[in-house]
Amino acid sequence: MNAPLPRLTKGPVGVRTPLVDGIDKVTGKARYTADIPRVDALAGRILRSPIAHGRILSIDTSAAEALEGVIAICTGDDCKVPFGVLPIAENEFPLARDKVRYRGEPVAAVAAIDEATAEQAMALIKVEYEPLKAYTEARKAMAEGAEVIHDDKPNNVLRKVHQEFGDVDAGFARADLIQERTYRFAEVNHVHIELNATLAEYDPEREWLTLNTTTQVPYYVHLKVAHCLEMDESRVRVIKPFLGGGFGARTEALHFEIIAALLARKARGTVRLTQTREETFIAHRGRPDTEIKIRMGMTRDGRITAVHNEVIQRGGAYAGYGIITILYTGALMHGIYNLPAIRHDGWRVYTNTPPCGAMRGHGTVDPRAAFEALMNEMAEQLALDPFQVRHVNLLQAPCTTLYAQKVLSYGLPECLDKVLKASGWAERRGQLPKGRGLGMACSHFVSGTSTPKHWTGEPHATVNLKLDFDGGITILTGAADIGQGSNTMVTQVVGEVLGVEMGRLRVISADSALTPKDNGSYSSRVTLMVGNAAKHAAEQLRDILIEAAARKLEVAPNRIECGHECFRISGEADKTLDFAETVRAAMVDSGTVTVKGTFTCPPEFQGDKQIRGSAIGATMGFCYAAQVVEASVDEVTGKVTAHKVWVAVDVGRALNPLAVEGQIQGGVWMGMGQTVSEETRFDRERMIHGNLLDYRVPTIVESPDIEVHIVESIDPNGPFGAKEASEGMLAGFLPALMDAVHDATGLRPDALPLTPERMSDWLEAQENAS
Amino acid sequence: MSLLNEFRFIRPETTAQAVTALAGSTDTRVLCGGTDLLPNLRRGLVSPGALVDVSRLESLQQISWEDDRLTLGAAITLEELANEPRLNRHFPALVKAILSVAGPSHRAAASLGGNLCQDTRCIFYNQSDWWRRSNDYCLKYRGELCHVMPKGDRCYATYHGDIAPVLMALGAQIDIIGPGGSRRLPLDGLYQENGSHHLSLEPGELVSTIILPRHVQWHSGYEKVRVRDAIDFPLAGVAAALRREGDTLAQLRLVVTGTNSIPIRVDLSQLEGGTWSDEAAEEMAKAIRKAVNVLKTTVTGPKYRRRVVMAMAKRLVSQLWQQAA
Repeated sequence: MNAPLPRLTKGPVGVRTPLVDGIDKVTGKARYTADIPRVDALAGRILRSPIAHGRILSIDTSAAEALEGVIAICTGDDCKVPFGVLPIAENEFPLARDKVRYRGEPVAAVAAIDEATAEQAMALIKVEYEPLKAYTEARKAMAEGAEVIHDDKPNNVLRKVHQEFGDVDAGFARADLIQERTYRFAEVNHVHIELNATLAEYDPEREWLTLNTTTQVPYYVHLKVAHCLEMDESRVRVIKPFLGGGFGARTEALHFEIIAALLARKARGTVRLTQTREETFIAHRGRPDTEIKIRMGMTRDGRITAVHNEVIQRGGAYAGYGIITILYTGALMHGIYNLPAIRHDGWRVYTNTPPCGAMRGHGTVDPRAAFEALMNEMAEQLALDPFQVRHVNLLQAPCTTLYAQKVLSYGLPECLDKVLKASGWAERRGQLPKGRGLGMACSHFVSGTSTPKHWTGEPHATVNLKLDFDGGITILTGAADIGQGSNTMVTQVVGEVLGVEMGRLRVISADSALTPKDNGSYSSRVTLMVGNAAKHAAEQLRDILIEAAARKLEVAPNRIECGHECFRISGEADKTLDFAETVRAAMVDSGTVTVKGTFTCPPEFQGDKQIRGSAIGATMGFCYAAQVVEASVDEVTGKVTAHKVWVAVDVGRALNPLAVEGQIQGGVWMGMGQTVSEETRFDRERMIHGNLLDYRVPTIVESPDIEVHIVESIDPNGPFGAKEASEGMLAGFLPALMDAVHDATGLRPDALPLTPERMSDWLEAQENAS
Repeated sequence: MSLLNEFRFIRPETTAQAVTALAGSTDTRVLCGGTDLLPNLRRGLVSPGALVDVSRLESLQQISWEDDRLTLGAAITLEELANEPRLNRHFPALVKAILSVAGPSHRAAASLGGNLCQDTRCIFYNQSDWWRRSNDYCLKYRGELCHVMPKGDRCYATYHGDIAPVLMALGAQIDIIGPGGSRRLPLDGLYQENGSHHLSLEPGELVSTIILPRHVQWHSGYEKVRVRDAIDFPLAGVAAALRREGDTLAQLRLVVTGTNSIPIRVDLSQLEGGTWSDEAAEEMAKAIRKAVNVLKTTVTGPKYRRRVVMAMAKRLVSQLWQQAA
């Protein structure tokens, strides 16, 4: 009590902090869904459609049911409630009813005493189909007279978007240079390393269902499982154990999760449903194959006068997030440069391929790449440096975009300066030996979508804190840590506010029986929304502790200051309570202390009701990135290698610079995969990429050195100024590498990925032309 | 995840026991490192009644350097070979090929003999049982039709081994042991141009030893084309060995992988005795084009593989010609 007060040191925010659950992961202690021991679990398997489009004429499960060891078989008859992440577009059944719309769509499922029996049972299920014409290309599916995939959309277009801001025609009229290009981007998949899996336990006596599942959105799963099984939501519990990545693949309830629940209830027991890599590719939800025609007008000094982009997405067989994805292709034309006029046309098209969904940089990556690539090409035609063209088009923050987005912090100018210097751009661009080049581009992303998928009036995030007699603080959050480090983030935020050591804080997350609801880990919303809710909760707990200390020390609360696990009277070093003493004081007449913090995005950040679709792309703040890529092209093999990336990212404030660096490198790296080698491939409608040999995620050998520069613009909305830090830099890699390839070879790539095959075709054409 | 079928697992103490076990039944397979066999087992591409594990047979682990030749046991792992100091000194092309196989963890398990005997590959074959069943299987396994060449009379699955072409260019021989004893033949003789039966091994036979002649005057190299510099099989690979005498190309051997159902030797005897020039390179490219038969067996299209194999061969032979000066 009379010991000298330790110096009030810096809190955990801003300190390079290893993830709080990192030790469990690297020591192998962490249990993922498929690891959860349950000896009585039945083996679940899914029977899938062998054709891409057709009517189901009959399903005969009698022989399979007669097989010894088969406990339950489900078909489309077992669930007549459709699901889908958007309330306006729920058109998917966990098990197909009447029709199948992509090859691999689930038509039946088996729960049996072991995998071998389940496998045998599947072979005994007889399904008759009437095949229909199938489409794997958007343009063919939307052509006149095409076979209809969903009856309510006779032209196979899920959503046509048209938006116009400013006077586009006048903008083009006053341009000194107008260019139009068409770019093609192959479909890509997230390839989260942990395969999809669900452990579903049904308690037949109490009619309770518990799911452990691989999801980023446990509460959306909760909702959809309850709906599809027509159960009261209170009888369902959803737990997200450790998760091996998501990247957007798991931001909606997926068929396998609902199927596991259906099987468990029918079997009146526990079912383990694990999925192969091929099945995980079939569940898909990746970034769609996209064709973009973009037209841009520029003045002689590089100022953009108007832009028109037309985007066609091959969305796959069901709606999923499709309407949002196509809206995003227009929404994030805004918010990075000062553009006077924008026209956007988008078509989200149904095809007979696995459904697309959200993927890191949701809907914005391919349009940003097309935009930046054309910007670079036009800069060259105007004899301007690409950096110069960015500078003349910068926003003046704070400002509001034509799409009603508010930009309060804007670190892009600093990002540009950092990578310009670090890469030696001025001396090296255009000066590297033949076959080697530098390229640059910018990109941005929302720090969470300000509008929830379901309008319930609830806060956008809620965090509970529990402080008990032992002085331990439990942080309860529904936020799903998917590897991005949200458990660590909330721990740091609470530790910072309370001035306590990290070891005093434990996080329990994403278990609907224990933790308050959270909408999930998507659109980079967690740091901003859950971080603010955690801060709010911690501030309340701090006030309670300060009041307790004030009572004990018999002074007014406003005379108490706290920090480094101590509460003391300001200016009186000998009047100090340590944390345990303060907690004991707080327990008097109260017992266990629980507080709740919440966060809601204010309406002015939720878009403008006058602008249709502006709820998408509305955010509390944008993350900004600029990057330079150095790459080479082998003229014999056509192989493109990225050697080095300099990336600067405005993250508002780096709450944990170590994690921020990792997230930025991961984002750049994922962009690299899409640019150099990743693509889904279909031979007619047969998926031929369904494994990690044929779907080419880069290896460590292909990984360039990624030099990260963190820019802190301190956003007024973010917790301690923080914004998003893992999506905004992805899109910029694509056009930066395309630009580097141009610097190396003189070619302007207009299709991705830049595989040796594609590059070699272009190099040959270039040689033949010269 | 994907269930293994039930099979008997046999671990013999001697090669004689191994041969007896193998000869016992036609559905017995040799297991060594398992990097090729196990994924195929899990996908239901083979369903053997028994596996004979030869990975611990000491006689298949020997490395023996003699004045005129190097003898390698078939069960030596690729990692052990890569770490053999003298190998890189005397056969750098071989070490390069070894280090280009898959990734480090595969090479720690994979054996030399297993690599030579690896199965042929095809996008219509290396798929799950569900995938293949809903495509009526294929000529290579359980089906009637080759989806690559529907009018063809054989399977066109492709051989994608990295090491065989180098060994062939270096003039390697192999010993095969079986119920009838041991026989020695050029490595070329192990292969036959049929994707579903690309090895000439008789029932009960296995490759036991690889014998490399030591020619100091040869210059050899291996170039592999692939999208990723680890994991990937070659989309095309070229091994070459040449002898240069002054300005004369005395001998040139070229073997190509990833294009046919076997590692294919390209006859270039017409170039021997001349010199290396742009014309010679063109003539070589023509000979390669005639020898290879690239079809739609990988996700990367045949046009690229055909074009790149010729370009790589030119680059490689030119480099070797320079080195030999």
